[in-house]
Amino acid sequence: MHRRPNVIHRCWTALKRPSAKHSLLALLALGFFSGIIFWGAFNTGMEATNTLEFCIGCHEMRDTVYQEYKETTHYSNRSGVRVICSDCHVPKDWTHKMWRKTKASMEIWGWLTGTINTKQKFEAKRMELATREWERMKARDSIECRNCHSYDAMSSELQKFTPYKKHMEGMAAGKSCIDCHKGVAHKLPKEYEEPM
Amino acid sequence: MRICNRNRVAVFAVAASWLFSGAALAAVDVDGAKALAKQNNCFKCHSITTELDGPAYKKVAEKYRGKATAENRLIEHITSGEKAKFADGHEEEHKIVKTSPPKDKAQIKNLVQWILAQ
Ligand code: HEC
Ligand code: HEC
Ligand code: HEC
Ligand code: HEC
Ligand code: HEC
Repeated sequence: MHRRPNVIHRCWTALKRPSAKHSLLALLALGFFSGIIFWGAFNTGMEATNTLEFCIGCHEMRDTVYQEYKETTHYSNRSGVRVICSDCHVPKDWTHKMWRKTKASMEIWGWLTGTINTKQKFEAKRMELATREWERMKARDSIECRNCHSYDAMSSELQKFTPYKKHMEGMAAGKSCIDCHKGVAHKLPKEYEEPM
Repeated sequence: MRICNRNRVAVFAVAASWLFSGAALAAVDVDGAKALAKQNNCFKCHSITTELDGPAYKKVAEKYRGKATAENRLIEHITSGEKAKFADGHEEEHKIVKTSPPKDKAQIKNLVQWILAQ
């Protein structure tokens, strides 16, 4: 046992000492370029997962939420703007995006173990999934909605009177979009009760 | 005797259709109606019992109690975007209900029947 530290020590000094064969500069350059390639491929991979097609690659998403979303304003509207899954579900900034993608590994796990692989199982779990999503959005003040919408940009003349009034009250009370706009893109879970 | 029988059949048919329509009236799908109202933000302006921006559904049901045209009137109200008068006097287009699949008459009718039954 007493030899172990020795081995570790030797390896460590070898690592610390720049290689005799290659110049330090060459090694740094190699590191630099392989870094670019790695991050490039990594980010391309990340971008590929941000398409609508990727998300509906699984029937769990395609047969349920996708069908509902297709009937909503965010899918097709007079302005011709299509809001896709990742616009609402995947954070734009790096840290939160990484966190969300890491959590998304749970979806792969759910897919492998079939947590929502039938309509019945999906409906039974929907409230839990929706609640997770509401909490995530609430925690960041509905940042994904606000990437496109903002209270400031709402026109008192073009927006109907009552929504406008509610928005100005909501803004003053520090309310977030998701507090009042649940179920904008999918059916609400049947267990959901409106706060009266 | 023949005629008599035919009459009896006719009477029976009428009675049966009454029973049937009675059953259809009674069979409001409450969960379906509430789910549609929730999804459409109806409860942002209406409650069943209290006045919000819009009238309580109990009030609406009272207003239309016994009126034969009630159902069609209210279907028109929630599908046409006609002007609604708010308590403060201003008017704006009333919400148009959206169903899935789009424009499903049966779901809209069911919602109106539920409101009228409050
Ligand atoms: C590998 C198949 C698969 C793909 C691809 C997939 N999902 Fe899912 N998703 C699932 C499964 C399975 C669940 C249920 C997970 C569970 O049971 O906890 C789920 C759950 C969710 C939830 C519920 C919220 C939560 O925290 O669990 C959201 C939101 C979601 N997916 C969005 C997306 C988006 C956006 C994409 C595209 C970027 C996507 N999914 C791609 C299978 C998939
Ligand atoms: C990528 C941009 C984008 C994102 C992200 C987005 N929206 Fe929208 N949203 C739009 C556009 C564009 C329209 C209007 C389309 C039209 O009327 O022409 C719209 C319409 C709406 C409407 C009115 C129509 C309806 O469906 O009732 C609501 C409410 C709404 N958005 C809420 C939200 C909420 C809540 C979120 C976050 C969960 C969100 N939006 C995220 C772009 C976006
Ligand atoms: C206090 C509750 C409340 C909050 C908070 C709130 N809204 Fe609304 N919003 C409403 C109501 C109520 C309506 C009208 C609903 C209807 O008619 O279906 C509405 C309507 C809208 C519409 C459609 C307007 C139109 O003219 O048809 C959009 C878009 C919208 N909201 C976006 C947002 C966004 C984005 C946020 C966050 C920045 C937000 N709302 C926050 C209550 C709220
Ligand atoms: C306009 C924003 C928006 C878009 C676009 C959107 N979602 Fe959602 N999604 C939400 C919100 C908000 C929730 C939280 C539950 C709710 O309010 O309906 C949610 C919930 C979910 C859930 C949890 C189950 C449920 O029904 O609550 C899944 C799964 C999901 N979304 C997947 C997707 C997929 C896949 C797409 C693309 C086909 C998509 N979403 C597009 C806003 C959006
Ligand atoms: C922005 C607020 C608002 C929303 C959202 C709203 N309503 Fe109304 N509603 C009103 C107002 C205000 C009136 C009173 C209209 C009048 O008396 O002219 C009204 C009246 C009604 C009436 C009674 C009509 C009559 O002839 O007496 C019914 C029924 C009704 N609404 C159903 C609905 C349904 C169903 C929904 C959802 C699809 C809905 N409302 C959404 C504000 C709203």
